[in-house]
Amino acid sequence: MTDADIIVVGAGPAGSCAAIAAARSGKRVVLIERGPFPGSKNMYGGVIYPRILDELIPHWFETAPIQRWVVRRSTMVLSDTGALNIDYRSNAWGQAPYNGATAYRPDFDNWLAQQAVAAGADLICSTTVTGLLRDDQGRVCGVSTDRPDGDLTASVVIACDGVNSFLAKQAGLYPTADADNYTLGVKETLSLSKHIIDERFGVRDNQGVDIEILGGTSGVNGGGFIYTNLDTIAVGVVLKLSKLSAQKKRPEDIIAELKRHPAIAPLVEGGQVVEYSAHLIPEAGLEMMPKMVADGLLIAGDAAALCLAAGIWLEGVNFAMASGMYAGQSASAAINANNVSANSLKSYTDRLNKTFVLQDHKKLRKIPHLVLSDRIQHKYPAFVTGVVERMFRVDNPTPKPGVRRIVSQERKKAGIKLSELVRDALTGLKGFG
Amino acid sequence: MTIAVCIKWVNYSGPVESDTPDERFAGFSFADQAALEWALRIAENSSDEVLVLTAGPVGAEAVLRDALSRGAHRAVRIDIDLTSDSSVIARNLVGAMSQPRMVWCGDYSNDRGSGSVPSFIAADLNIDQALGLVALELPENANASFAAVRRLDGGRREQLLISGSAVLSVEGSTVRLRRASLKNTMSASKQEIQVITATGGRMDTPALRPYRPRPRVTLAPIGLTALERVKHITDTSSSKGHGETVHAEPSAAATLILESLRKWGYLP
Ligand SMILES: Cc1cc2nc3c(=O)[nH]c(=O)nc-3n(C[C@H](O)[C@H](O)[C@H](O)COP(=O)(O)OP(=O)(O)OC[C@H]3O[C@@H](n4cnc5c(N)ncnc54)[C@H](O)[C@@H]3O)c2cc1C
Repeated sequence: MTDADIIVVGAGPAGSCAAIAAARSGKRVVLIERGPFPGSKNMYGGVIYPRILDELIPHWFETAPIQRWVVRRSTMVLSDTGALNIDYRSNAWGQAPYNGATAYRPDFDNWLAQQAVAAGADLICSTTVTGLLRDDQGRVCGVSTDRPDGDLTASVVIACDGVNSFLAKQAGLYPTADADNYTLGVKETLSLSKHIIDERFGVRDNQGVDIEILGGTSGVNGGGFIYTNLDTIAVGVVLKLSKLSAQKKRPEDIIAELKRHPAIAPLVEGGQVVEYSAHLIPEAGLEMMPKMVADGLLIAGDAAALCLAAGIWLEGVNFAMASGMYAGQSASAAINANNVSANSLKSYTDRLNKTFVLQDHKKLRKIPHLVLSDRIQHKYPAFVTGVVERMFRVDNPTPKPGVRRIVSQERKKAGIKLSELVRDALTGLKGFG
Repeated sequence: MTIAVCIKWVNYSGPVESDTPDERFAGFSFADQAALEWALRIAENSSDEVLVLTAGPVGAEAVLRDALSRGAHRAVRIDIDLTSDSSVIARNLVGAMSQPRMVWCGDYSNDRGSGSVPSFIAADLNIDQALGLVALELPENANASFAAVRRLDGGRREQLLISGSAVLSVEGSTVRLRRASLKNTMSASKQEIQVITATGGRMDTPALRPYRPRPRVTLAPIGLTALERVKHITDTSSSKGHGETVHAEPSAAATLILESLRKWGYLP
């Protein structure tokens, strides 16, 4: 008999949801986390879209450790001195069933893992999984860990060990790694009083704001973000790895530069840095996804590159929670059927294909590379802000110029060919569906 | 026989009496960890059982489970208000030990408490104490006496030979606590922990307070303006009467120093 039915590696959002789903179906589940507690090693920008939890933890919003409910979502385009801001507000998002929420990962991940414990899973922390165990036919049948006497056997292993998953690589499920598929996310958490945050961002009580930024990354392809917590704000950048290394720029200098931008400085002024953190993001979506199923093995969350990073959307936690949940359910169904071969576990990818997890990725397949392309990154911010600046500038006694003329002049000034503009517009339209 | 190890659970996350203490920020000190490791090493070479004890609310059981996973045989939690007097905590710990062969403690806890619990335990058990050990040499035979080095004030060290029952407190640098095996980690989460409700009062101890020199009367500063008065107090260039060079035989110099200290109020 195996030590457990299912071993889940990594107590991030994917791992905990896999453990909850599997434990709920009566399986013996061991959830292994390398950090001293779930979430202790995890970072992200700051907004979770947890509606997928409706299925797993009804009324999750009553107990989840949420900082603020996002009622304003903005997209900012920054040129060197200008800023265009598209801002949408809905106070309805501040009430059940809610939309997005800001939360600290050490709180949220820990809470989610405790739901797995409540469902019957054994949570083992401060334990790093160092490899996969295989039976004599090469099927995955457990894991080895860094603890003495640290091998553990199971019918199915679910690898939720995050971006750059060593387990998925060891299982040979990843094609060759390409630095172009990854971005480095870097974040400063700035302490500001709740009152100041409320005033600066135009919110009250536990209402929050999510700002995604194009431009402002010191010439390195990427983007930025600002999110509000109760008494801190998160300011960060996401930087294309290959460009960052080629341009030999320091990420903390890029954040400092972003904080000095005239449109950002008033928002962050006086904030004390209380945390600095960095983490890789599997940015390329469908282009980089590994095989997610092998005999006795499933891969979920960032480990399977399921994070959706498509310009105005940076969503990874909801994709991780959903894929984790489906992996937990499929693993337990396969055990019930007494068949944990890759073929039997394939119900997992079938499920991903039928739901938003892979459907969104398929729809937005071209967007991650488009958003990070040189033209969008280096030419469009100046073009877009240039057009808007000219439209809103009053040059009396000169009469207002026509919009078409402004667009044409600014396009040429930014060095964008008409054919390129048309092509990008078509790709965007097609990509965003 | 029993080798007792007392470890202090410290939680930084807020009120320790809270019903649901946040265990993410709780733990026990490196010194307590070292104490546990020494006890486990002695027990390995003998038939002794290692009993690990802590005093505190239910959240404190996390450190006991940790100790069990590393190899302790039994665990007891004294259910007590952690703000209780050290002597009350010590008395309750002793009550749960029943004639231990040795008691191991850390030299400091994570909240840097008074460090007085080990002494109270020794007093209550009426056995020897060797506190603040910085080095130990365990013998092959677990029952033989062994050498230890104790830290004294002023950077001095004291060599000790420890035999028989004693309360020992060790520094965290003496040894590194072993890592728990995976199987033990899993089984410790289900192992039983005995809970004893605290009773009893303080031990009688003589009232002591730290020495403070008596206050010295200083004359009001002289000067017509505020600046002059401030200069009078702070100006180091003018003599305050304390700078005096004396040429004397050692005994006469010593007498003079004592007289001066007495005059200036540093000695009673
Ligand atoms: C800067 C930045 C900003 C982001 N912003 C957002 C955002 O605002 N909203 C959003 O939804 N997503 C965001 N994301 C993406 C999001 O963080 C991830 O998609 C999400 O965390 C993936 O969850 P996961 O459970 O798959 O992996 P992770 O959260 O990475 O969890 C993996 C877990 O596995 C553990 N682990 C790893 N290896 C081992 C091992 N060998 N043994 C044991 N345990 C192991 C880790 O300690 C960790 O707990 C952001 C990411 C970054 C870097």
